[in-house]
Amino acid sequence: MTDIPRDVPPPSALPDAVAPPTSTDSLPAMELTGLMKRFGEKTAVAGLDLTVPAGSFYGLVGPNGAGKTTTLSMATGLLRPDAGVARIHGVDVWAQPVEAKKLIGNLADGVRLFDRLTGEQLVTYTGMMFGLARDEVAARTADLLRIMDLGEAAGTPVVDYSAGMTKKVALACALVHAPRLLVLDEPFESVDPVSAANIEDILRGYTASGGTVIVSSHSMDLVQRMCDHVAVIAQGRLLASGTVDEVRAGATLQDRFVDLVGGRHHAEGPQWLRQS
Amino acid sequence: MVATVLRIRFRVLGNTLTRSPMQLVGFIFGVLGALWMLLLAGVGLFFIGTLDFDVARAAVTAAGAVLTLGWVIGPVFAAGIDTTLDPAKLAPFPMTTRQMMVAITAGGLTGVPGIATSLGALLTFLVWLREPIAAIAALVCVPLGVLICVVASRAVAALAGGLGGGRRTRELIGLIGFAVLIFASPLLVGILNGVRAATDQGMQVQSIVDGVAWTPIGAAWAVPGDLAAGAWLPAVVRFVIAAATLCVLWLLWNRSLAASVVAPPARSAARRRSGSLGWFGVMPSSPVGATWARSLTSWTRDMRYIKQLLLIPFAPVLILLYSQWNLSSPFFALSGLLVGFFAGILAYTDVSYDGTAFATVMQTGIRGRDDRLGRMLGAATVSVPLVVLADLVTLGIAARWDLLPAVLGGSLALTLVGLGVSAVSSAFLVIPTPAPGDSPFKRVPGSTFAMFLTFFACWVLVAALSLPAVIPALIAAFGGSAVAGWIALAVGPVLGVAVFAIGIVVGGRRFDAGAPALLAQLRTYQGA
Repeated sequence: MTDIPRDVPPPSALPDAVAPPTSTDSLPAMELTGLMKRFGEKTAVAGLDLTVPAGSFYGLVGPNGAGKTTTLSMATGLLRPDAGVARIHGVDVWAQPVEAKKLIGNLADGVRLFDRLTGEQLVTYTGMMFGLARDEVAARTADLLRIMDLGEAAGTPVVDYSAGMTKKVALACALVHAPRLLVLDEPFESVDPVSAANIEDILRGYTASGGTVIVSSHSMDLVQRMCDHVAVIAQGRLLASGTVDEVRAGATLQDRFVDLVGGRHHAEGPQWLRQS
Repeated sequence: MVATVLRIRFRVLGNTLTRSPMQLVGFIFGVLGALWMLLLAGVGLFFIGTLDFDVARAAVTAAGAVLTLGWVIGPVFAAGIDTTLDPAKLAPFPMTTRQMMVAITAGGLTGVPGIATSLGALLTFLVWLREPIAAIAALVCVPLGVLICVVASRAVAALAGGLGGGRRTRELIGLIGFAVLIFASPLLVGILNGVRAATDQGMQVQSIVDGVAWTPIGAAWAVPGDLAAGAWLPAVVRFVIAAATLCVLWLLWNRSLAASVVAPPARSAARRRSGSLGWFGVMPSSPVGATWARSLTSWTRDMRYIKQLLLIPFAPVLILLYSQWNLSSPFFALSGLLVGFFAGILAYTDVSYDGTAFATVMQTGIRGRDDRLGRMLGAATVSVPLVVLADLVTLGIAARWDLLPAVLGGSLALTLVGLGVSAVSSAFLVIPTPAPGDSPFKRVPGSTFAMFLTFFACWVLVAALSLPAVIPALIAAFGGSAVAGWIALAVGPVLGVAVFAIGIVVGGRRFDAGAPALLAQLRTYQGA
């Protein structure tokens, strides 16, 4: 990879325990070929090809219902595609699911956690599911809860967490097995600005040490600021992909996105809604 | 406003039915059931109308009281509470609490049970028509009785939801109520049986009905008969009782509804000390250990699981009821077998209770075999000790320790076979369940007749697979053969463990292939 993430923070932001193993191969972190999914009459994802280089900070943007979540679900082994192949570091997700999932840390959107467990129990549970040694699980859980500022709430059931704390504990679960690829669906939704900045630091440290991050987001500013690569998806198709500078082609990402996706109209809203 | 809400209610019903043919089948079965009950009631009332008038009015009062009681306890016990017109869903609309209550009551009256109740209540005119005074009084009293039914059921639901405020308290109250109901209904039936057996003349029944007519559940139904019989004073007092019942229920409901709309029940839970990992600190750090610990945490802390466990003590009571309270009959001594039968199959759709948190399980790439083993070990850790305890207690009460090997062998076989079958069935079946933290009694839309059939098929399969251990146990109990008992004890655990192991392997394969489909199905359920 020739792309260097901008504004690399000191790698010390990430505890050594959860730093990803250094990548030695030149295979892409994620490679999707001809991915397709239909729900009844509606085609959610229509033959999507996407290559995510290892070590990149990759943004996935698109309007509501564009197929972002569906694509990520298929790429991480949660939703079986009707056609197409998803590879993580060369491992076929649907042929070798167990091996592929060990490489992925996944923060899915719109699913519950086992929220009757306490934050500490939940992270421990996830670590145990990956078969880590007990003292290793304990050390990593403590590290993660500390950097997510969840130390105080470690003994509180996740059901009583705020939306932002829930995102953070889910991120801790996604990191506990030191994955090589992090797939984050809307990681900053309803997270307060301070926590968002902390999470951003962690993610930068992670990519700086060789990990790959894919984030889906509605926020163009955030993607333009954080990511080095971006893909624009609408109606289940890939409209543009490449480095952020290639895709935005001189304009802001926001304007470029509206150009690509369309649907912007310059109306003032209906008459009856105007207050004066 | 009320009309709009009612239109939405029927729209929702229509959409649910057109979307899923299997739900339509279930709905049609419900309607047919209601029609059948109405037919029985009509024929019954017609013939009762030809009997002596005193008998006829007692019968109407008794039937009305049972009907009212059914409205109050039925939703909790059997069908759950219909939440199409949930106060929480109506809260954003500009309605007063009173309008909301009228809308919910109207919704209750226009559902299948409401329509059936109204028609059934109208059928009492078959009796009252003989006495003009009674018929005129019934014009007021029958609607009053039907309204008490509907308002009582909603008020009890709202109160059960609002009492105490805290989630934990609310769940506990619900569970205690459930337990009381489970044991109260067989006891009541048993007592009534006893009374009927004791009085050949039926005179005592008449006096019981007379007593019931003074209670809030029977009063409204007794007034027309009293008037016709010339008992003016009782009629007036009973009418006041009925009217007061409706008012008190309405006020209670109003208060709890107003409170719950403004301040929805708070979420609170006991904090644990950090570093306190519960079962996660005990189990080995492996996929099986992690799943085992999570499953066990659910079985011991999640009200939806604990509610299922409450069914276990129900089995011996059920047997007592059918064996006419005969503690020394071999049937009662064998009730451990029924306990095992109930307990093993409890986890038949274990994945459903995960909801979409099942995605967390899939993200870890757990192998099907490990997932199955962890879940079933979790269920077994709870159910096997409970079954053994039930065996010992019932045998102790029956003083039939000679049957210990037979009962232990048979019940362990049924439990372990049930777990083995559950390991397979829960790998392809998910049903809609209340979300974690919701009332375990909430009715969740989306159940289909096919799901019920699958559950039934699981039960048949468990019974059939356990026969090699159950038959010797039965021979020991009814034939008095001690050898057969020891055969049951030898065969039972071995057979159970074998089916358990096969279930884990077969279910594991099914899970590896079908887990994404399960998650997709879970995502379609509301609130999961």
